[in-house]
Amino acid sequence: QRFRFCGDLDCPDWVLAEISTLAKISSVKLKLICVQVLRDLMGEAMEYEKILKLTSDAKLETGDVKATIAVLGFILSSAAKHNVDSESLSSELQQLGLPKEHAGGLCRSYEEKQSSLQDRLRACSLRLSRLDSVGWRVDYTLSSSELQDVNEPLVHLNFHLRDGEHDGPVAIPMILSADKFRVLLA
Amino acid sequence: MLLVLSEEQKAHLGCLPQAGDAAVGELGRLALELLRRGATPRACEATARKLNVGVDTVQHGVEGLAYLLTESSKLMVSEVDFQDSIHVLGFSEELNKLLLQLYLDNRKEIRSILGELTPKLPSYHSLEWRLDVQLASRSLRQQIKPAVTIKLHLNQNEDQTAQVLQTDPSTLLHLIQQLEQALGEMKTNHCRRIVRNMK
Repeated sequence: QRFRFCGDLDCPDWVLAEISTLAKISSVKLKLICVQVLRDLMGEAMEYEKILKLTSDAKLETGDVKATIAVLGFILSSAAKHNVDSESLSSELQQLGLPKEHAGGLCRSYEEKQSSLQDRLRACSLRLSRLDSVGWRVDYTLSSSELQDVNEPLVHLNFHLRDGEHDGPVAIPMILSADKFRVLLA
Repeated sequence: MLLVLSEEQKAHLGCLPQAGDAAVGELGRLALELLRRGATPRACEATARKLNVGVDTVQHGVEGLAYLLTESSKLMVSEVDFQDSIHVLGFSEELNKLLLQLYLDNRKEIRSILGELTPKLPSYHSLEWRLDVQLASRSLRQQIKPAVTIKLHLNQNEDQTAQVLQTDPSTLLHLIQQLEQALGEMKTNHCRRIVRNMK
């Protein structure tokens, strides 16, 4: 059976297996755990102790707690990836066996953060290089050892790159004559 | 299969009988720490002070014991062979039994430590991908050229490297087909026979 939040593919077996673990936690606590998992997906620090406190009532072992965080992370990021709206997500989760209140709470947290999560995922997408800034300078050559009256402008350009394959700032300097610079601009 | 100990190693292990059984246990523990984490000079000094012998004696004893344990674990020597190998050293019966017990208890752990020492090729860590469509370039306007850019993150002995690759979708499909064919080899009779014999 195909699910939209899995990208129109089958739901992975491990997600199916952990749905029953999610049902053990109360729906209010599940919504609070979702808030923490969303913070982690957005790149802020996740408060693991809070999650441990919230799951302590359901008497989950540490393996189950980690599985819960992993399953929620997968559901939320996968739904954002495939641009699933929260009602479809709620009905699909109920088809998988998650109780209605739990699915509702999860989808409410998802809906609040859906666009910022998608922005964050867009920013994390693979980028090879990024142009940070361009520095320039125009010189005027008066004369040289070869010719007494040169009188030519010269353009210096310095491209500052970031996030290249080398994961650090890179500077690429170059010098252009006036004609070449006009060709570049054209 | 018998272990052959050189004269120097026999001299190193020669300090064991005088130390006494409790001390041998202590030296055995130090030898295992040496294998797990590397040299422990401060622990050797502490043991030397407790046993009232020189630091060098303790260090040699620990190294000799570590060599004995790694060689026997590496070759998976049986109990009989182990006992015959240390018989050469002329230790008392109890000391021999102690050493045998030390060997048998820690054999599995030492083998797993030794297993991690093999040189490794770079292994897969993660993969990022991106699908782009080139619409125009300086030379040609109004084109449609899809391309898949892949950043392959590799791990080699805790070094992270990344390779950037780019391909068009049809080559990617061909690549996937070749990899699936490679996986399919596992299902042929030839591979199945070998896997069955290995188990």
